[in-house]
Amino acid sequence: MSPTPDLAQGLARALSTTWGETAEIEIRDQASAGARRHNVLFDALRGGERIPLVATIIPNPAIQVMDVEVEAASLRLAESQGMPVPHVHGVWQDTSLVGGPFFVSTRIDGETIPRQVLRLVEAHPGLGATLAGQCGGALARLHAADADKAHEGLIRPREDDCVVEQALTGVAALIGELLQPSPSFTLGLRWLERHAPAPPERLSVLHGDFRNGNLIVGDDGLRAVLDWEVGHLGDPMEDAAWLCMRMWRFRNDELEVGGFGQRAQLREGYEAAGGAWRDEAFHWWKVLGTLRWGLGLAGQAKAHIDGSVPNIIMAASGRRVAELEYDLLMLLQPTDGAGR
Amino acid sequence: MQDRPTAAELLEAIGDLLEKAVLPGTRGPLRHPVRVAGNLCRILEREAELGSELEAREVEILRQLLGPATGDDVRSLTAELDRRLATEDDPEFQARAWRGLLEIVRGKLRIAKPGYDAYDFVAELPG
Repeated sequence: MSPTPDLAQGLARALSTTWGETAEIEIRDQASAGARRHNVLFDALRGGERIPLVATIIPNPAIQVMDVEVEAASLRLAESQGMPVPHVHGVWQDTSLVGGPFFVSTRIDGETIPRQVLRLVEAHPGLGATLAGQCGGALARLHAADADKAHEGLIRPREDDCVVEQALTGVAALIGELLQPSPSFTLGLRWLERHAPAPPERLSVLHGDFRNGNLIVGDDGLRAVLDWEVGHLGDPMEDAAWLCMRMWRFRNDELEVGGFGQRAQLREGYEAAGGAWRDEAFHWWKVLGTLRWGLGLAGQAKAHIDGSVPNIIMAASGRRVAELEYDLLMLLQPTDGAGR
Repeated sequence: MQDRPTAAELLEAIGDLLEKAVLPGTRGPLRHPVRVAGNLCRILEREAELGSELEAREVEILRQLLGPATGDDVRSLTAELDRRLATEDDPEFQARAWRGLLEIVRGKLRIAKPGYDAYDFVAELPG
């Protein structure tokens, strides 16, 4: 894709105003141009310095998941907590600059595509364990943040003590919308209702999609955590459990943490950075996340079938529902072996 | 009876075309959808071969769970099992349903993703 001069001009105008000096822009690549978000990789030449940057643009704010101000605020909060994230250089709501609201952050080298991350880990003995520990440390530092300092636009439960209740209401509603009933999902919901964990001492700022695929990884380990658009306040174990769901392991099923590490390594990193690990809540959120993902796949198939998003990828999701039903049932299996 | 090739044989031919001829020459945004379409042909090929046998077994499992008076239509049996799980609080029934559902889901995976059920999760269970 060839860079458009308007884009470079818009970015130059934006950054020059913020920095108080002229910046020259060289567009490098227009990566991942999705419907909701568009990442533009570019360099800014400021004085004699070449600064590698990324602009995250929301082409259509009507379908945005999160306002760029809120996302940038989460990134800045995470950075202030010592979590590795791209530094945010500025946020702009002015749609005349690049065609939509956007923020500019530091571009960090490394692998993000899950299979390439796993290949890197395989090529460097010990890196997987290091990475799992770093993920634990990074999450604990984020979760230690004072939730009152989070942007007021960040999604949060109605009351501090109803995180579990709201999660259950959410999945029950999705089960009600299924085109065909899934008794496995219903059984999963019943289990979740019966096994609600004790709430955390306090709610934390969560990344919301902390997983292999949203991490920048180098041969030195974790370099940055990306994609904060589904951040929210909740139980910290929700973040830890999401990273450990089977679908982020990319066939490395025995390595529970993103296909690269063991839970003990994640937990050790989490606790070493001051986090309070809760096994019961971790398992509950893993079951919930698995059910949610299964319902999400069924929802994608429905969007294809009802014509709202006719698309073969969405259609194919319907035939992946059985994977999540299997994962869910196996997470609920009796541990005495009687049911197997 | 339709003439040969069978549905499975034709789906195999379409899958081969997509994966061996179309995919290698496809770049850009169509590459992923073409790969997915090829994989869907493999799924349908297995469904054409195994679908009726697995559905008959599914009906048998559901009838064992729900009782013989519940009919033999897989959709209504599934809906009835779902309704009972949603409304009844019977741990013994839930345990039996879990075992039956696991067999049904393993059957679906034989079509949708063979081998996916090799992983048993035991190492990551609590307690």
